[in-house]
Amino acid sequence: MIWEVFRQEKPGDYHRHVGNVHAPDRDMAKLFAQIQHARRMQTNSLWVVPQEEVGEVDTEDAAFGGRTDKAYRWAMTYNDIDSSFAQEVEDSEAEQREAARKRREQLESEGQR
Amino acid sequence: MDIETVKERAGPRQFGPNDDMPEEYRKAATRMIQFHANSEVMGGYLDKEFTRHAPSLDRKLANTAKVQDEIGHAQLLYRAAETLGVKTRDEMLDELQNGEGKFLNCFHYPVDSWYEAPMIDFFVDGGAMRRQATLKSTSWTPYAHAMDKVCFEEGFHVKHGESILRELMRGSKATQERTQETFEEWWPRILQFFGPTNDQSTHNDFAMDVGLKTVTNDELRNSFLNMYVPKAEKYGLEIPESPRIFERDDGTMAVRESDLDWDEFWTIAKNDSDGSHEQIGSRARRQEAVAWVRDSLDNWEGSAAGTPQAAD
Ligand SMILES: [Fe+2]
Ligand SMILES: [Fe+2]
Repeated sequence: MIWEVFRQEKPGDYHRHVGNVHAPDRDMAKLFAQIQHARRMQTNSLWVVPQEEVGEVDTEDAAFGGRTDKAYRWAMTYNDIDSSFAQEVEDSEAEQREAARKRREQLESEGQR
Repeated sequence: MDIETVKERAGPRQFGPNDDMPEEYRKAATRMIQFHANSEVMGGYLDKEFTRHAPSLDRKLANTAKVQDEIGHAQLLYRAAETLGVKTRDEMLDELQNGEGKFLNCFHYPVDSWYEAPMIDFFVDGGAMRRQATLKSTSWTPYAHAMDKVCFEEGFHVKHGESILRELMRGSKATQERTQETFEEWWPRILQFFGPTNDQSTHNDFAMDVGLKTVTNDELRNSFLNMYVPKAEKYGLEIPESPRIFERDDGTMAVRESDLDWDEFWTIAKNDSDGSHEQIGSRARRQEAVAWVRDSLDNWEGSAAGTPQAAD
Protein backbone atom coordinates (compact mmCIF):
# COMPACT_ATOMS: atom_id res chain seq x y z
CA MET A 1 0.00 0.00 0.00
CA ILE A 2 1.24 3.49 -0.80
CA TRP A 3 1.14 6.37 1.66
CA GLU A 4 1.62 10.01 0.70
CA VAL A 5 3.91 11.90 3.05
CA PHE A 6 3.62 15.51 4.14
CA ARG A 7 6.36 17.20 6.12
CA GLN A 8 6.19 20.29 8.29
CA GLU A 9 9.56 21.87 8.92
CA LYS A 10 8.82 24.18 11.77
CA PRO A 11 5.87 24.66 14.12
CA GLY A 12 3.43 26.99 12.42
CA ASP A 13 4.49 26.04 8.88
CA TYR A 14 2.30 24.24 6.38
CA HIS A 15 2.64 20.49 5.89
CA ARG A 16 4.05 20.14 2.38
CA HIS A 17 3.96 17.07 0.20
CA VAL A 18 7.40 15.53 0.01
CA GLY A 19 6.83 12.10 -1.53
CA ASN A 20 5.42 8.69 -0.64
CA VAL A 21 6.34 5.37 0.90
CA HIS A 22 5.28 1.71 0.68
CA ALA A 23 3.98 0.38 3.96
CA PRO A 24 1.55 -2.34 5.08
CA ASP A 25 -0.22 -0.16 7.67
CA ARG A 26 -0.35 3.31 9.19
CA ASP A 27 2.20 2.67 11.90
CA MET A 28 4.73 1.30 9.47
CA ALA A 29 4.00 4.18 7.13
CA LYS A 30 4.84 6.64 9.91
CA LEU A 31 8.06 4.81 10.61
CA PHE A 32 9.13 4.66 6.95
CA ALA A 33 8.17 8.27 6.40
CA GLN A 34 10.32 9.22 9.33
CA ILE A 35 13.28 7.29 7.99
CA GLN A 36 12.92 8.43 4.39
CA HIS A 37 11.77 11.96 4.71
CA ALA A 38 12.78 13.21 8.14
CA ARG A 39 16.12 11.65 8.77
CA ARG A 40 18.18 14.51 7.36
CA MET A 41 15.61 17.18 6.76
CA GLN A 42 14.52 19.59 9.43
CA THR A 43 11.17 18.26 10.62
CA ASN A 44 8.64 19.16 13.22
CA SER A 45 5.80 16.86 12.17
CA LEU A 46 4.86 14.34 9.48
CA TRP A 47 1.50 13.29 8.07
CA VAL A 48 0.90 10.05 6.23
CA VAL A 49 -2.22 9.58 4.11
CA PRO A 50 -3.31 6.46 2.18
CA GLN A 51 -2.81 7.29 -1.48
CA GLU A 52 -6.23 6.00 -2.51
CA GLU A 53 -7.83 8.42 -0.06
CA VAL A 54 -6.43 11.37 -1.99
CA GLY A 55 -8.86 12.84 -4.49
CA GLU A 56 -7.29 14.50 -7.50
CA VAL A 57 -8.51 16.92 -10.12
CA ASP A 58 -6.00 18.05 -12.75
CA THR A 59 -5.75 20.24 -15.84
CA GLU A 60 -7.37 17.51 -17.93
CA ASP A 61 -10.51 17.70 -15.82
CA ALA A 62 -10.70 21.35 -15.02
CA ALA A 63 -9.87 24.81 -16.29
CA PHE A 64 -8.28 26.11 -13.11
CA GLY A 65 -8.88 29.75 -12.47
CA GLY A 66 -11.15 29.72 -15.50
CA ARG A 67 -10.21 30.69 -19.02
CA THR A 68 -12.16 33.94 -19.12
CA ASP A 69 -10.60 37.30 -18.45
CA LYS A 70 -11.15 38.13 -14.82
CA ALA A 71 -8.85 41.11 -14.61
CA TYR A 72 -11.38 42.88 -12.42
CA ARG A 73 -10.50 40.65 -9.49
CA TRP A 74 -6.78 41.40 -9.39
CA ALA A 75 -5.18 44.22 -7.43
CA MET A 76 -2.85 45.05 -10.35
CA THR A 77 -5.81 46.00 -12.53
CA TYR A 78 -6.33 49.12 -10.45
CA ASN A 79 -2.95 50.47 -11.43
CA ASP A 80 -4.01 54.09 -11.18
CA ILE A 81 -4.10 53.45 -7.43
CA ASP A 82 -0.86 53.55 -5.50
CA SER A 83 -0.71 50.73 -2.97
CA SER A 84 2.57 51.75 -1.38
CA PHE A 85 0.87 53.70 1.42
CA ALA A 86 0.11 50.50 3.33
CA GLN A 87 2.61 47.68 3.60
CA GLU A 88 -0.08 45.01 3.76
CA VAL A 89 -1.77 46.22 0.57
CA GLU A 90 1.55 46.35 -1.21
CA ASP A 91 2.44 42.83 -0.01
CA SER A 92 -0.90 41.50 -1.15
CA GLU A 93 -0.47 43.04 -4.58
CA ALA A 94 3.03 41.56 -4.87
CA GLU A 95 1.68 38.10 -4.03
CA GLN A 96 -1.10 38.50 -6.57
CA ARG A 97 1.31 39.68 -9.23
CA GLU A 98 3.45 36.61 -8.64
CA ALA A 99 0.43 34.29 -8.81
CA ALA A 100 -0.71 35.95 -12.05
CA ARG A 101 2.75 35.58 -13.56
CA LYS A 102 2.87 31.84 -12.78
CA ARG A 103 -0.61 31.43 -14.17
CA ARG A 104 0.30 33.28 -17.38
CA GLU A 105 3.33 31.03 -17.82
CA GLN A 106 1.14 27.98 -17.38
CA LEU A 107 -1.34 29.22 -19.99
CA GLU A 108 1.49 29.99 -22.41
CA SER A 109 3.07 26.58 -22.01
CA GLU A 110 -0.33 24.96 -22.57
CA GLY A 111 -0.73 27.00 -25.73
CA GLN A 112 2.56 25.63 -27.06
CA ARG A 113 1.54 22.03 -26.49
CA MET B 1 -0.50 22.90 29.03
CA ASP B 2 -1.31 25.36 31.79
CA ILE B 3 -1.97 29.04 31.28
CA GLU B 4 1.42 30.09 32.60
CA THR B 5 3.20 27.87 30.07
CA VAL B 6 0.98 29.23 27.31
CA LYS B 7 1.92 32.79 28.24
CA GLU B 8 5.58 31.90 28.35
CA ARG B 9 5.56 30.17 24.99
CA ALA B 10 3.19 32.64 23.29
CA GLY B 11 4.48 33.78 19.90
CA PRO B 12 3.62 33.70 16.21
CA ARG B 13 2.14 30.34 15.12
CA GLN B 14 3.15 28.67 18.37
CA PHE B 15 0.12 26.47 19.01
CA GLY B 16 -1.96 24.10 16.93
CA PRO B 17 -4.46 21.26 17.11
CA ASN B 18 -1.82 18.85 18.41
CA ASP B 19 -1.20 20.94 21.51
CA ASP B 20 -3.18 20.35 24.61
CA MET B 21 -4.42 23.90 25.17
CA PRO B 22 -6.20 25.04 28.32
CA GLU B 23 -9.90 25.75 28.05
CA GLU B 24 -9.42 29.44 28.70
CA TYR B 25 -7.20 29.74 25.63
CA ARG B 26 -9.49 27.66 23.43
CA LYS B 27 -12.53 29.68 24.46
CA ALA B 28 -10.83 33.02 23.92
CA ALA B 29 -9.53 31.96 20.52
CA THR B 30 -12.93 30.60 19.52
CA ARG B 31 -14.61 33.85 20.56
CA MET B 32 -12.15 35.87 18.51
CA ILE B 33 -12.16 33.72 15.36
CA GLN B 34 -15.92 33.20 15.42
CA PHE B 35 -16.37 36.98 15.65
CA HIS B 36 -14.04 37.38 12.69
CA ALA B 37 -15.82 34.68 10.65
CA ASN B 38 -19.24 36.18 11.42
CA SER B 39 -17.94 39.56 10.30
CA GLU B 40 -16.85 38.12 6.95
CA VAL B 41 -20.35 36.73 6.42
CA MET B 42 -22.11 39.91 7.45
CA GLY B 43 -19.65 42.05 5.50
CA GLY B 44 -20.32 39.94 2.43
CA TYR B 45 -24.06 40.28 2.90
CA LEU B 46 -23.77 44.02 3.22
CA ASP B 47 -21.45 44.33 0.27
CA LYS B 48 -23.67 42.38 -2.09
CA GLU B 49 -26.10 45.34 -2.04
CA PHE B 50 -23.56 47.33 -3.99
CA THR B 51 -23.71 45.03 -6.99
CA ARG B 52 -27.17 46.40 -7.72
CA HIS B 53 -26.06 50.02 -7.30
CA ALA B 54 -22.74 49.75 -9.14
CA PRO B 55 -22.66 52.14 -12.11
CA SER B 56 -20.86 49.90 -14.60
CA LEU B 57 -20.48 46.28 -15.57
CA ASP B 58 -16.83 46.29 -14.46
CA ARG B 59 -17.79 47.53 -11.03
CA LYS B 60 -20.56 44.96 -10.76
CA LEU B 61 -18.17 42.15 -11.66
CA ALA B 62 -15.52 43.34 -9.24
CA ASN B 63 -18.09 43.69 -6.50
CA THR B 64 -19.44 40.19 -7.06
CA ALA B 65 -15.88 38.84 -6.96
CA LYS B 66 -15.27 40.63 -3.67
CA VAL B 67 -18.44 39.23 -2.10
CA GLN B 68 -17.38 35.76 -3.19
CA ASP B 69 -13.98 36.33 -1.54
CA GLU B 70 -15.59 37.46 1.73
CA ILE B 71 -17.82 34.41 2.00
CA GLY B 72 -14.74 32.30 1.28
CA HIS B 73 -12.94 34.05 4.16
CA ALA B 74 -15.82 33.11 6.43
CA GLN B 75 -15.50 29.46 5.41
CA LEU B 76 -11.76 29.44 6.13
CA LEU B 77 -12.27 31.08 9.49
CA TYR B 78 -15.06 28.79 10.68
CA ARG B 79 -12.74 25.89 9.89
CA ALA B 80 -9.94 27.54 11.88
CA ALA B 81 -12.33 28.10 14.79
CA GLU B 82 -13.55 24.50 14.69
CA THR B 83 -9.99 23.24 15.21
CA LEU B 84 -10.19 24.56 18.78
CA GLY B 85 -12.81 21.95 19.61
CA VAL B 86 -15.15 24.35 21.38
CA LYS B 87 -17.91 24.81 18.79
CA THR B 88 -18.83 23.21 15.49
CA ARG B 89 -19.39 25.21 12.33
CA ASP B 90 -23.10 24.42 12.47
CA GLU B 91 -23.31 25.78 15.99
CA MET B 92 -21.59 28.99 14.98
CA LEU B 93 -23.80 29.45 11.93
CA ASP B 94 -26.89 28.81 14.06
CA GLU B 95 -25.73 31.41 16.56
CA LEU B 96 -25.34 33.94 13.80
CA GLN B 97 -28.82 33.13 12.53
CA ASN B 98 -30.56 33.35 15.90
CA GLY B 99 -28.94 36.67 16.77
CA GLU B 100 -26.41 35.48 19.36
CA GLY B 101 -23.39 35.65 17.06
CA LYS B 102 -21.42 38.89 17.32
CA PHE B 103 -19.73 40.77 14.48
CA LEU B 104 -18.09 44.08 13.55
CA ASN B 105 -19.96 47.29 14.26
CA CYS B 106 -19.76 48.61 10.69
CA PHE B 107 -21.80 45.71 9.36
CA HIS B 108 -24.78 46.62 11.52
CA TYR B 109 -25.68 49.58 9.31
CA PRO B 110 -27.81 48.71 6.27
CA VAL B 111 -26.59 50.37 3.05
CA ASP B 112 -28.58 51.59 0.09
CA SER B 113 -26.39 53.71 -2.16
CA TRP B 114 -23.24 53.47 -4.23
CA TYR B 115 -21.71 56.36 -2.25
CA GLU B 116 -21.40 53.97 0.66
CA ALA B 117 -19.34 51.48 -1.35
CA PRO B 118 -15.95 53.14 -0.78
CA MET B 119 -16.73 53.66 2.92
CA ILE B 120 -16.88 49.90 3.29
CA ASP B 121 -14.58 48.74 0.52
CA PHE B 122 -11.79 51.21 1.08
CA PHE B 123 -11.94 52.38 4.70
CA VAL B 124 -13.46 49.37 6.44
CA ASP B 125 -11.59 46.79 4.34
CA GLY B 126 -8.46 48.89 4.74
CA GLY B 127 -8.85 48.91 8.52
CA ALA B 128 -9.67 45.21 8.52
CA MET B 129 -6.61 44.50 6.44
CA ARG B 130 -4.40 46.40 8.88
CA ARG B 131 -5.65 44.15 11.62
CA GLN B 132 -5.54 40.98 9.54
CA ALA B 133 -1.93 41.54 8.53
CA THR B 134 -0.98 41.57 12.22
CA LEU B 135 -2.95 38.36 12.75
CA LYS B 136 -0.56 36.49 10.48
CA SER B 137 1.48 36.38 13.69
CA THR B 138 -1.27 35.07 15.94
CA SER B 139 -0.36 32.14 18.17
CA TRP B 140 -3.14 29.82 16.88
CA THR B 141 -1.57 28.37 13.72
CA PRO B 142 -4.77 27.52 11.80
CA TYR B 143 -5.87 31.13 12.29
CA ALA B 144 -2.55 32.44 10.95
CA HIS B 145 -2.81 30.14 7.93
CA ALA B 146 -6.28 31.49 7.17
CA MET B 147 -4.82 35.01 7.30
CA ASP B 148 -2.20 34.10 4.68
CA LYS B 149 -4.93 33.48 2.12
CA VAL B 150 -7.18 36.30 3.29
CA CYS B 151 -4.39 38.89 3.02
CA PHE B 152 -3.45 37.57 -0.41
CA GLU B 153 -6.95 38.48 -1.60
CA GLU B 154 -7.62 41.65 0.34
CA GLY B 155 -5.25 43.84 -1.64
CA PHE B 156 -7.75 43.75 -4.48
CA HIS B 157 -10.59 44.82 -2.19
CA VAL B 158 -8.76 47.82 -0.81
CA LYS B 159 -7.45 49.00 -4.17
CA HIS B 160 -10.82 48.55 -5.83
CA GLY B 161 -12.41 50.46 -2.95
CA GLU B 162 -9.95 53.29 -3.37
CA SER B 163 -10.56 53.30 -7.09
CA ILE B 164 -14.31 53.82 -6.44
CA LEU B 165 -13.57 56.69 -4.07
CA ARG B 166 -11.29 58.29 -6.62
CA GLU B 167 -13.91 58.00 -9.33
CA LEU B 168 -16.62 59.52 -7.16
CA MET B 169 -14.42 62.41 -6.04
CA ARG B 170 -13.64 63.21 -9.66
CA GLY B 171 -17.34 63.27 -10.49
CA SER B 172 -19.73 66.21 -10.60
CA LYS B 173 -19.96 68.71 -7.76
CA ALA B 174 -23.15 67.00 -6.62
CA THR B 175 -21.46 63.61 -6.59
CA GLN B 176 -18.58 64.97 -4.56
CA GLU B 177 -20.97 66.49 -2.05
CA ARG B 178 -22.94 63.29 -1.67
CA THR B 179 -19.69 61.38 -1.14
CA GLN B 180 -18.59 63.89 1.50
CA GLU B 181 -21.96 63.60 3.30
CA THR B 182 -21.75 59.83 3.26
CA PHE B 183 -18.20 59.98 4.54
CA GLU B 184 -19.27 62.15 7.48
CA GLU B 185 -21.92 59.63 8.36
CA TRP B 186 -19.52 56.71 8.22
CA TRP B 187 -16.36 58.26 9.68
CA PRO B 188 -17.22 57.82 13.40
CA ARG B 189 -18.29 54.22 12.76
CA ILE B 190 -15.02 53.56 11.00
CA LEU B 191 -13.07 54.95 13.94
CA GLN B 192 -15.06 52.74 16.29
CA PHE B 193 -14.25 49.74 14.13
CA PHE B 194 -11.10 49.26 16.20
CA GLY B 195 -13.07 49.16 19.44
CA PRO B 196 -12.56 51.17 22.60
CA THR B 197 -9.14 51.99 24.03
CA ASN B 198 -7.20 49.17 25.47
CA ASP B 199 -7.99 49.57 29.15
CA GLN B 200 -11.74 49.50 28.46
CA SER B 201 -11.65 46.28 26.50
CA THR B 202 -12.21 43.23 28.68
CA HIS B 203 -10.85 40.45 26.47
CA ASN B 204 -7.91 42.40 25.19
CA ASP B 205 -5.28 41.70 27.84
CA PHE B 206 -5.69 37.97 27.88
CA ALA B 207 -5.65 37.76 24.09
CA MET B 208 -2.39 39.73 24.06
CA ASP B 209 -0.83 37.66 26.85
CA VAL B 210 -1.39 34.38 25.03
CA GLY B 211 -0.35 35.77 21.64
CA LEU B 212 -3.75 35.58 19.95
CA LYS B 213 -3.45 39.31 19.32
CA THR B 214 -0.15 41.02 18.79
CA VAL B 215 -1.16 44.65 18.44
CA THR B 216 -3.55 46.70 20.57
CA ASN B 217 -6.75 48.33 19.29
CA ASP B 218 -5.22 51.69 19.97
CA GLU B 219 -2.08 51.02 17.93
CA LEU B 220 -4.16 49.71 15.07
CA ARG B 221 -6.45 52.72 15.00
CA ASN B 222 -3.54 55.11 15.09
CA SER B 223 -1.65 53.44 12.31
CA PHE B 224 -4.90 53.39 10.36
CA LEU B 225 -5.31 57.14 10.88
CA ASN B 226 -1.77 57.82 9.77
CA MET B 227 -2.32 55.99 6.52
CA TYR B 228 -5.94 56.68 5.67
CA VAL B 229 -6.44 60.31 6.69
CA PRO B 230 -3.92 61.46 4.05
CA LYS B 231 -5.69 59.24 1.52
CA ALA B 232 -9.09 60.75 2.30
CA GLU B 233 -7.64 64.23 2.00
CA LYS B 234 -5.84 63.39 -1.20
CA TYR B 235 -9.19 62.81 -2.88
CA GLY B 236 -10.66 65.98 -1.44
CA LEU B 237 -12.63 64.57 1.47
CA GLU B 238 -12.76 66.78 4.52
CA ILE B 239 -12.23 65.09 7.86
CA PRO B 240 -15.20 66.04 10.10
CA GLU B 241 -14.41 68.28 13.08
CA SER B 242 -15.82 65.81 15.50
CA PRO B 243 -14.56 63.31 16.60
CA ARG B 244 -11.44 65.39 17.12
CA ILE B 245 -8.25 64.00 15.66
CA PHE B 246 -5.02 65.21 17.21
CA GLU B 247 -1.35 64.73 16.77
CA ARG B 248 0.64 63.19 19.57
CA ASP B 249 4.14 64.22 20.60
CA ASP B 250 5.66 61.51 18.45
CA GLY B 251 3.83 62.83 15.39
CA THR B 252 1.31 59.99 15.18
CA MET B 253 -2.42 60.66 15.08
CA ALA B 254 -5.01 59.79 17.67
CA VAL B 255 -8.72 60.35 18.22
CA ARG B 256 -10.49 61.88 21.22
CA GLU B 257 -12.49 58.87 22.12
CA SER B 258 -14.94 60.80 24.26
CA ASP B 259 -16.23 62.36 21.03
CA LEU B 260 -17.52 59.01 19.84
CA ASP B 261 -20.96 57.61 20.65
CA TRP B 262 -20.19 54.57 22.78
CA ASP B 263 -23.82 53.99 23.73
CA GLU B 264 -24.52 53.26 20.10
CA PHE B 265 -21.40 51.09 19.93
CA TRP B 266 -22.39 48.97 22.92
CA THR B 267 -25.99 48.64 21.72
CA ILE B 268 -24.59 47.30 18.49
CA ALA B 269 -22.23 45.04 20.40
CA LYS B 270 -25.33 43.44 21.92
CA ASN B 271 -26.86 43.01 18.43
CA ASP B 272 -29.59 45.34 19.57
CA SER B 273 -29.70 48.35 17.25
CA ASP B 274 -32.40 48.67 14.57
CA GLY B 275 -29.71 48.02 11.99
CA SER B 276 -28.58 44.89 13.82
CA HIS B 277 -32.08 43.49 13.73
CA GLU B 278 -32.43 44.33 10.06
CA GLN B 279 -29.09 42.85 9.00
CA ILE B 280 -29.31 39.72 11.14
CA GLY B 281 -32.93 39.24 10.10
CA SER B 282 -32.36 39.53 6.37
CA ARG B 283 -29.40 37.20 6.50
CA ALA B 284 -31.36 34.72 8.62
CA ARG B 285 -34.18 34.72 6.07
CA ARG B 286 -31.76 33.97 3.24
CA GLN B 287 -30.10 31.25 5.29
CA GLU B 288 -33.56 29.78 5.71
CA ALA B 289 -34.30 30.04 1.98
CA VAL B 290 -31.30 27.89 1.06
CA ALA B 291 -31.78 25.32 3.83
CA TRP B 292 -32.76 22.79 1.16
CA VAL B 293 -29.25 22.98 -0.34
CA ARG B 294 -27.62 22.17 2.98
CA ASP B 295 -30.15 19.43 3.65
CA SER B 296 -29.55 17.72 0.35
CA LEU B 297 -25.78 17.85 0.90
CA ASP B 298 -26.21 16.36 4.36
CA ASN B 299 -28.52 13.64 3.08
CA TRP B 300 -26.04 12.77 0.37
CA GLU B 301 -23.18 12.62 2.84
CA GLY B 302 -25.22 10.39 5.13
CA SER B 303 -26.26 8.02 2.36
CA ALA B 304 -24.08 5.19 1.06
CA ALA B 305 -23.36 7.09 -2.15
CA GLY B 306 -21.53 9.92 -0.43
CA THR B 307 -19.53 7.86 2.04
CA PRO B 308 -16.05 6.98 0.82
CA GLN B 309 -15.02 3.40 1.34
CA ALA B 310 -12.76 3.79 4.34
CA ALA B 311 -9.47 1.97 4.01
CA ASP B 312 -8.13 0.51 7.21
FE1 LIG C 1 -12.50 39.47 4.10
FE1 LIG D 1 -12.36 42.29 2.09
